[in-house]
Amino acid sequence: MTLAPNLTEIVFALGAQDRLLAVSDFSDYPAAARRLPRVGGLETSAERIGSLRPDLVLASRDGNARGVVQALEASGIPVLTVSGESLDAVLDGIRSVGRRLGRSEEGDRLAAALERRREQIRRSVAGLPRPAAVLLVWPDPPQAAGAGTFLSDVLTEAGARNLLGDRAGWPVVSAEFLATAPIEALVLPASAQTRGVYERARASGALSRGTVARARVIWLDEASLTRPGPRVFEALESLARALHSRQDGAR
Amino acid sequence: MRLWPRAARLRHPWAAALLLLAGSALLGLFTGGVHLSLPDLWSGAGPGGQTARLIASLRAPRVALAAVVGAALSLSGAAMQALLKNPLADPFLLGTSGGAAAGAALAALAGLSPLLSPGAAFLGAVASSLAVAALARRGGRLDLQRLLLAGLIANAFFSAVLLAVFSVASSAAARAMLFWMMGSLADASLGRVAALVPYAAAGAAVLAFHAARLNLLAVGEENAAALGVDTEGSKRTVFLAASMLTGAAVSFAGIIGFVGLLVPHAVRAAAGNDQRRLLPLSAVSGAALLVAADALARSAFAPAELPIGAVTAAVGAPLFAWMLLREP
Amino acid sequence: MSPDPGATPLLEARGLSAGYGRTEALRGLDAEVKAGEIVGILGENGSGKSTLLKVVARILAPTSGEIRLDGVPLASLPRRTTARRIAYVPQSVDLVFPIRALDLVLQGRAPHARGFSADSAEDRERALAAMRACDVEDLAERDASALSGGETRRVFLARAIAQEAEIWLLDEPTAGLDPRHRLEFLAVLRRSHRERRGTVLLVTHEVDLAAELADRVLLLRRGRAIAAGPSATSLTPENLRRTFGVEFGVRDSRFFQVEGLSDRQSLDT
Repeated sequence: MTLAPNLTEIVFALGAQDRLLAVSDFSDYPAAARRLPRVGGLETSAERIGSLRPDLVLASRDGNARGVVQALEASGIPVLTVSGESLDAVLDGIRSVGRRLGRSEEGDRLAAALERRREQIRRSVAGLPRPAAVLLVWPDPPQAAGAGTFLSDVLTEAGARNLLGDRAGWPVVSAEFLATAPIEALVLPASAQTRGVYERARASGALSRGTVARARVIWLDEASLTRPGPRVFEALESLARALHSRQDGAR
Repeated sequence: MRLWPRAARLRHPWAAALLLLAGSALLGLFTGGVHLSLPDLWSGAGPGGQTARLIASLRAPRVALAAVVGAALSLSGAAMQALLKNPLADPFLLGTSGGAAAGAALAALAGLSPLLSPGAAFLGAVASSLAVAALARRGGRLDLQRLLLAGLIANAFFSAVLLAVFSVASSAAARAMLFWMMGSLADASLGRVAALVPYAAAGAAVLAFHAARLNLLAVGEENAAALGVDTEGSKRTVFLAASMLTGAAVSFAGIIGFVGLLVPHAVRAAAGNDQRRLLPLSAVSGAALLVAADALARSAFAPAELPIGAVTAAVGAPLFAWMLLREP
Repeated sequence: MSPDPGATPLLEARGLSAGYGRTEALRGLDAEVKAGEIVGILGENGSGKSTLLKVVARILAPTSGEIRLDGVPLASLPRRTTARRIAYVPQSVDLVFPIRALDLVLQGRAPHARGFSADSAEDRERALAAMRACDVEDLAERDASALSGGETRRVFLARAIAQEAEIWLLDEPTAGLDPRHRLEFLAVLRRSHRERRGTVLLVTHEVDLAAELADRVLLLRRGRAIAAGPSATSLTPENLRRTFGVEFGVRDSRFFQVEGLSDRQSLDT
């Protein structure tokens, strides 16, 4: 079973979905995943998982609580922890899950395909001017993607310069920074909630004054962007296109 | 047990407090992640001037809000300490913070616009205070011991409500709630400050009016009664005024701890317990403290911004420990 | 110095009942005090003597009955008015916060003050004079919470004087005092009473003290008066036996010595 939606997507991508007992609450892609029983959100209970007696649990290193993972391991249930802290880690994750589920061929193949796509994007933006950008996972309070996160990789590999590249993690940034930093592009995950919050922030909140108010806003599909799984590379491609479409009409 | 260091009494406490406030205000205006250049601000010319004006216009409301909230919390704390005859009393002891947080949380859960959040928080604070006061009633009198216990119960109850709301809330509500519960002045605007000022001023005025009576109550209820004070009326009024100050502060800035506890404590050590001086000095000192704390919150890990409740706790707890250790 | 026997009583208790929660400490007490008297209120613990003081001080409200001041029901008068005439000197006070002894005495001026103004120079003068009268002037700048029991009692007495009250209510003023402090306190009390000609209600269970100081005594048992009258005639072994449940022997009509326990049965007749 999986404890995070990105892991569900990976399993489906490897074609191993028939082995899934239950999935994390927010697993909604692909559509078939919605029919599987739920096992809880990012914070779930070890007892609940244990009671379903899985042979393997896939957990996310950054998302799931360590206590749950330790409890499961202590009770003898094997857990594979997958890291999503960089794009490289995502690819490694796909390969390890593949190996663990006895689908190493599919795993390696998928990883290689995604790697090629990534390489392609990298080449296409090489040499192009790199706009200064900020990627906010949430508009208000404004939480940005800093160094050492897979979203920072997405920004840089799509040919932008992450203005928060010298701060690690997911810092909540101040309005005065947003108003004065030379932001050219603001990248946001699109969902009903984020759009609503963004409108308010743009009207009178943290995004209403200064450079951030004048920056170009790029909306990306939320589910692909925020889950460190195979679809993040689609988001990478969309972002690269959005950032550089003005420079290069052929994209 | 006396918890204040036997510090030398300040000769000119008012001068010191006002100086502190002025210093903090300057600190608040000129520090932060982004550099504000004074010459640019002064000339206002060109892009440099524009940027400077922008930064100043972003920081000024925060400084103002921090000052009013700091003053309100310190006043409330000082009054509660005198009323409860307890130097460890804190404005959040009586369940107002829990009620305010729960009010805002429930409003967010119900999907109400965040603009209504301060109103919901205030309603929560008022409801909580009234419930606590009702619980503390004993034979027609407001029993101060029971008040303390009732406040503890209220806080415990509201914590449970908050946790429940958190677990079912969408990530949107949960995020906003988290930052709010640790205190945040990020939404400062002159409009918000203007909305807060009447409540703060009303509460402060009521307390100022009761200052002499609070002096009598601080020695004891019997003491005050024998000297002609209507103790029931005074207790009720002081409690309500303090609750209103706390409720208003929490509604606009979230839960900011330690200010209401430490500022009156420190002022008492420096200038004595006469409420006629302690109350206004606490207000000014509290304003200064919170403005400085906000400056720190904005500059410590710039461009990231720390929740101000985290700063006051990080500074307040060791400070408190130091005071405890110094106690002879 | 004995008061005019025909004058209306300054203080009068009529059917006074009062208590704390479910306990009734006073049950329908009738008593009267004339101006200028020192009245000793004697009783064992739980007899209601402290409660009586608290009702007169308006700290406690009666459950039934009333107290009259100059014939007017106390409860109908504004609190500040009565506080200007009645001063309460407690047995002990828990001072949680530091407070200057002078400020404590200045609190006695509160019933005379207007609004939330600072203490006037006149108030300060009166307070210092009161402290002088009680031999505690040199303690004025000290922290009252750090004073000894005897010193604190005298500071409170100074406060009563600063309050310019004509009626003083003293709750066990010599309890816990060592001989020297007791002597000092009583000297100050006598002197002040002589100078001011006020009325004093003194609660104690020291019979000697009552005999020595009081003009009249009021003996309480279980919330009711057993006897009241001039101390010379009312402090009889029989009355004392009924009040305290012990046998008293009298020497020289002033020295009362406990000689033994008395039979409980005969007490509540």
